[in-house]
Amino acid sequence: MIKTHQLEKTVETSEGSLTILKGIDLEIKQGESLAIVGPSGSGKSTLLALLAGLDIPSGGSISLDNHELTELDEDKRAQVRAKLVGFVFQAFQLLPSLTALENVMLPAELNGVPGARKLAEKYLQRVGLGERVNHYPRQLSGGEQQRVAIARAFASQPKILFADEPTGNLDTATGAHVIDLLFDLNREEDATLVLVTHEQRLADRCHRSITLEAGAVVSDKINSPVIDNTVTLVASNEAR
Amino acid sequence: MFGMRLLWRDWRGGELGVLFAALLIAVAIVTGISLFTDRLQQGITAQSSHFLAADRVLRTSDPVDPSWLYKADELGLLQAQTMTFRSMVYVGEDLDGKMQFSAVKAVSDSYPLKGQLDVSDTPFGTVVKTPLSPPRGEVWLDSRLFPLLQVELGDSVFVGDAEFTVTKVVMNEPDRGSVFSGFAPRLLMNIDDIPATNVVQPGSRVRYRYLFSGDNQQLLQYGEWLQSRLDVSHRWLDLRDSQPRISNSMKRAEQFLLLAGALGVGLAGVAIALAARRYSERHYDYVAIMKSLGATSSRIMTIYTTNLLVLAMIAVVIGSMVGWLIQTVFFSVLMDYMSINMEHSATFRPYIIGSVTALVCLMAFALPPLLNLQGISPLRVLRRDLQGAMVSSVVSYAMGVGGIGLLMLWYSGNIQLTLAILAGIAATFIIVGAAAWYLLRGSTHMGMQAGSTWRLALASMRRRGYQNAVQAVIFSLSIMLLLVLFMVRSSLIEEWRIQLPEGTPNHFLMNVSAEEISAVEQLLADNGVSSEPIFPMARARLVNIGGMSREQWIKQEVLPNMPIESTSRPENIAREVNLTWAYEMPSDNRLVEGTWWPPGSTKPEVSLEVEFAERLRLNVGDKLVFQIGSEPLEVEVSSIRSLNWDSMKPNFFLIFPPKVLKDYPATYITSFYLPPDKKRFLNQFLLNFPTITVIEMDAVIHQIRTIVDQVSGAVELVLGLIIVSGVLVLIASVQSSLDSRFQESAILRTLGAKRGLVLGSLAIEFSALGLLAGVLAAFSAELAVFGLQEYLLNMTYTMHPVLWFIGPIVGMVLIGSAGYVTCRKVVNTPPVKVLREL
Repeated sequence: MIKTHQLEKTVETSEGSLTILKGIDLEIKQGESLAIVGPSGSGKSTLLALLAGLDIPSGGSISLDNHELTELDEDKRAQVRAKLVGFVFQAFQLLPSLTALENVMLPAELNGVPGARKLAEKYLQRVGLGERVNHYPRQLSGGEQQRVAIARAFASQPKILFADEPTGNLDTATGAHVIDLLFDLNREEDATLVLVTHEQRLADRCHRSITLEAGAVVSDKINSPVIDNTVTLVASNEAR
Repeated sequence: MFGMRLLWRDWRGGELGVLFAALLIAVAIVTGISLFTDRLQQGITAQSSHFLAADRVLRTSDPVDPSWLYKADELGLLQAQTMTFRSMVYVGEDLDGKMQFSAVKAVSDSYPLKGQLDVSDTPFGTVVKTPLSPPRGEVWLDSRLFPLLQVELGDSVFVGDAEFTVTKVVMNEPDRGSVFSGFAPRLLMNIDDIPATNVVQPGSRVRYRYLFSGDNQQLLQYGEWLQSRLDVSHRWLDLRDSQPRISNSMKRAEQFLLLAGALGVGLAGVAIALAARRYSERHYDYVAIMKSLGATSSRIMTIYTTNLLVLAMIAVVIGSMVGWLIQTVFFSVLMDYMSINMEHSATFRPYIIGSVTALVCLMAFALPPLLNLQGISPLRVLRRDLQGAMVSSVVSYAMGVGGIGLLMLWYSGNIQLTLAILAGIAATFIIVGAAAWYLLRGSTHMGMQAGSTWRLALASMRRRGYQNAVQAVIFSLSIMLLLVLFMVRSSLIEEWRIQLPEGTPNHFLMNVSAEEISAVEQLLADNGVSSEPIFPMARARLVNIGGMSREQWIKQEVLPNMPIESTSRPENIAREVNLTWAYEMPSDNRLVEGTWWPPGSTKPEVSLEVEFAERLRLNVGDKLVFQIGSEPLEVEVSSIRSLNWDSMKPNFFLIFPPKVLKDYPATYITSFYLPPDKKRFLNQFLLNFPTITVIEMDAVIHQIRTIVDQVSGAVELVLGLIIVSGVLVLIASVQSSLDSRFQESAILRTLGAKRGLVLGSLAIEFSALGLLAGVLAAFSAELAVFGLQEYLLNMTYTMHPVLWFIGPIVGMVLIGSAGYVTCRKVVNTPPVKVLREL
């Protein structure tokens, strides 16, 4: 699903060029969930941005569902994102002037997909906010806002979901609830999940986790092998 | 759909208020002013046709071939005819009865085709308008004829062999023309009675006028048909030939309105630019999120430009309505005095101008900041400090200046004026910007020694050095424009008032003989009427210029240089002119060239009025020969004067030194003010001096004064609108720095700063900015007023000390309070809320 080759990112600063990522080779399979962990400044978010096509690398290549991102301009990458990708961010990134429902409808509306409203209502129902569709973000708690963001991410029925510190702004209990929801939905939709996190507990719930340090992958660990969905479900139920 | 929702939410959230208000004001100002000037133009055209009493007139000294009139009939044109000539009017057939030389005008029943006759039921009485003309067997007499002939309404008078009943007093006809040409009192009669009088014989000096009226197409067709048949004795007159001289004041008012309109739009443009920039900055995050969700740049631009266009359309609709209202207010107060026909509905042009203005304002001012949205990187969802590719500020400024330049050029059609204003704005930008930046940098040093509130304020000013310099420039430009308009308006209105103060002479006495002077002065004094100085007056024919005959000179020097649109007949230029003599130059004349003669000069010289000199292409030093009576007189042009023709005082094209003309015959002229309640004094006066001509100007003066008052009102209304745009600019400008102030204040208060400290420093910062902007504005306003008065409005420039006082105070109070009020929110919002939203 995602494949990188010798991925590099350097930026120019006043003190010369700074290498953020170097020589990243990575392959993420369809339906796999991958956690990217590592200390602050290790390049986790930069890697996520590159994988999602939000930014372009300084060297190497990225293939997203057979689209070679380095060969596409911003608008083409936007079209790829529209078709394949969903996001959940640490800061939720909901539009404050739109209601929960309108926020969830946004991707479908932007991309001209019919039936946006029905789809949005279904996913808001699924994240437990069916009663609060007409509330504005400022009228919702942090956990609720993140649930709206999750509904928005899945409403575009993405093949790949990127999550950047999805619990970073939430307390432990709320964060756990949000994570359960994220994993449940991900399983139901059979999406590939790429997650940046500080939390080991969260990383451990993924099939696989890689650790970055100073821009390089220092470990790549399989937590549980990817099997087909039903088996994963059984396995995870047994694990509980 | 989503775009509209976004627009609606932004609207409800108050994000679009300033942008929309600025657009609306731009449209309203422009539509209102151009509707007004458009309708004024149409009104003046309509009024011009009243001055002709028709749409076209064929003037001849002989009756025309009847087939010409059949042709006009065929084409469906309405027709009327008049004959004018001078004849004696008698009371009774005996030779010892009263008689008076009169200007007879015989008119057909359909006369006048345009406009109406002013009549009255008592001599010098109240004017009533009538669409009728005298029926057969009746005559209408000028007020002056009643005392001169000692008749009353209902009495009989004779013209030639025919007897008529006097049934009305005629005060004026629409096509009477220049007041000074009609020396003899008017008698109006029916043209069908002419044969019975036997006064018109072959060789009589009669002027025939054939009046035509119809639609443009018919008139054009007839004019073309007629053209090949006309010879030198015919004159085909159209509206331009009758255009009444719109006084300088009215022209200036129109220029002022246009100028004010252009500046108003400029100010609104600045407000639009500032508001659009803030709007666009607040949407950076929106755009980043939308892009991360897969929206392309073109999709984003479609959403935002569509929103902007929808906003513009609403602004155009509401703005046009407001503009229409403004114009209606102007007219409702003006129309009674200007006899403008309200049926002349305005064209669509003003609405088109309004719509295009909105569009150009958006393109020039709002588009550059919105183009920035296109370059926002989606990565901003992860890294908020990222901005992406921005439109360079040089491009933004160039678009703004280019846009306002184009609009101004379009409104005024005057490239010089446009370039002058743009240069003025550019110079202000550079000079004021540099001064502001330099002064703001200087605050570093002061800041070190100041108390904490002041230190905080000065530090903040320094930190935002560039931003504050730009803001100071915008503030001072706005204040400058307001000061300029205010000063120009004050001096315009002041000048109008001075021009026609209470007690302006409203009656002229002409044909006063030298022997009558003291008796006239005595009678006036006895009745408590004070008169202006008495001038001698003679009529002279210009016969020879620089050794050439007048005709030859005109052919050689004047005709080749005559503007094509000129309607004056070259052979008539300066055929006969009024002249006077005086030791001193009249106090309201101004020497343009040459020198005035010393007292007692006997040198044969003359002083010319400047327009007269220009028309005949005469210069100081030229030799002229005049014929006064039967005597030729050779003189040299020694000076050229300008004078104010609107002053209602006796004015002369030619002035000679008294000793040069002492042996020539002359009559005298003077003017005096007669209050309305003393109008009947004229009866007594004319009984005492039947040969003196009285010209009544009181109605005209009243009309001019009322128009001036109303136009002043219109000017003030426009000024009011422009002040609103100025205030909008201030609000938009303060708002544009609001977001970063929120953040700073939140951090300061989190660190323990008291509300008072933050608020005090904000008040000081804005007041200091306002003071600086005010001083700079006073400086540039003084320069701009100088330029405008000297070069555009032809007024005399005087220093305005009051500017230097008002400017800084207005700046400090207005900007200080605008900043304080707008920013109070900054300290009243809990810091935690601000920090959470960052």
